[in-house]
Amino acid sequence: MRTKFAFVIAGLALFLAKPIVAHHSFAAEFDASKPFKMTGTVTKVEWQNPHTYFYIDVADEKTGKVNNWGMEMGSPNGLMRAGWTRNTMKVGDKVTVEGSLAKDGSHTGNARTVELAESGKKLFAASSQGQQAAQ
Amino acid sequence: MKNQLRIAFVCSAAVALFASTAWLEAQAPRAGQIQQEGSIAPEAAQGRGGRGRGRNAAPAQPTPKLADGTVNLGRVAGEKGIWNLPYITNMAQNVVDPTTGQPIPEIAAARAAAAAARGAGGRGAGGGTRGGGGGGGRGGTKSEPWMPFQPWAAAVYDYNSKNESQYDPEGFCLPPGGPRMFATPYPGEIIQLPEQKRIVMIFEGGTHIWREIYMDGRQHPSGDELNPTYLGHSIGHYEDNNQTLVTDVVGFNENSWLDYFGHPHTGQMHVTEKFTRPNKNTLHYQATVDDPGAYTRPFTVAWDIAWRGDGELSEYICQENNRYLNRLTDDFGQPVFGPKTPGIKPAKPTAGGTK
Repeated sequence: MRTKFAFVIAGLALFLAKPIVAHHSFAAEFDASKPFKMTGTVTKVEWQNPHTYFYIDVADEKTGKVNNWGMEMGSPNGLMRAGWTRNTMKVGDKVTVEGSLAKDGSHTGNARTVELAESGKKLFAASSQGQQAAQ
Repeated sequence: MKNQLRIAFVCSAAVALFASTAWLEAQAPRAGQIQQEGSIAPEAAQGRGGRGRGRNAAPAQPTPKLADGTVNLGRVAGEKGIWNLPYITNMAQNVVDPTTGQPIPEIAAARAAAAAARGAGGRGAGGGTRGGGGGGGRGGTKSEPWMPFQPWAAAVYDYNSKNESQYDPEGFCLPPGGPRMFATPYPGEIIQLPEQKRIVMIFEGGTHIWREIYMDGRQHPSGDELNPTYLGHSIGHYEDNNQTLVTDVVGFNENSWLDYFGHPHTGQMHVTEKFTRPNKNTLHYQATVDDPGAYTRPFTVAWDIAWRGDGELSEYICQENNRYLNRLTDDFGQPVFGPKTPGIKPAKPTAGGTK
């Protein structure tokens, strides 16, 4: 947990007026009490149902060691309603991701928002984390 | 599925011991539960069972009608539009008096008690895991006292709560059964085909499914002719001068939950639905669930569904790459789908702590 990101302890920003897609239990896999914000470089995008995944290389700010993180988002139908296309995020793009960490301690997160460095565009990730607003 | 159900039964007794009384906390009002693209107001999102007039963010327009004056539950010719189905995670919060359509008073009382408990600095009525708070956590939401659970059904529900609904069949890309169809937050359409004496409902989510309601006066099949299915067998007719669609649904299998929170049902479930469209932008949905296998008496749930006039259905194939199944382990740490490690003793059920 010493990687180059800051845990957001303050209240979670809730992006309410956006599509929410539910698939599996968010709380079974992710911990909303462990929010994250991290910036990295996209290494892979899997534009698929029921969840789009993307992977980013994130450098540990102390050791410099690079870890590859997997990020879960919503499904393509929900993402497109939130303004995405399959080419919105490409390999090599620098992105800042906010979301919640996996419970199992792996380098996995559930993305709530993704900000694209090049355009400055911040997009809702249409993920099951929308449930958090519901609870 | 059967194995999971078996596990559920085996563990439910143990879990019942752990289940706290934190349901009050978890039942607290959930502002903005299901807002999607700003097309539905928070009050409507709560789906509290009112008639819904004026709740939609869009201005009310007259209810569209078919050529013969029957309520049009779908699009107007030449226009787009989809029903923006809400995300109702716990149907017990939408129980209404079937005669008035209004929420039963027990719900408001429970919310008030939970708010009072929070105001007193407590974490609800005690002991829940994270108080049903963030992250979609259910926080040990306990079986609601106003739901007429059979004892086993309450135990299974509490078990589902304790493990954060991790065995929710929808997470396995299996369809919703009964009213959950209209509580799964992907759009849907209702297509009335009066010439063919049937209605087709199409759902983008819930694994991309369709449902047919026979309007030709037939009865349900009987005996083995009634094959248990996820969506059941639906027949329907109009009432209220053709302004209310009433369906009658039986023949459900037992592979689905009534909601994300995991209210169970059995194959005895009989659902009666009423669909009205008080204005163009609002569909009012009401369902009475009569399942003597799981509940001691019928109960009725209701909520509003918002029209999204610029919407169209998209493709959603849940089964494509459902990694959740690959990661899912049972209460003993064994993969739910995949080879098990022999010799593992079920010494310590750990519902809710399997990740």
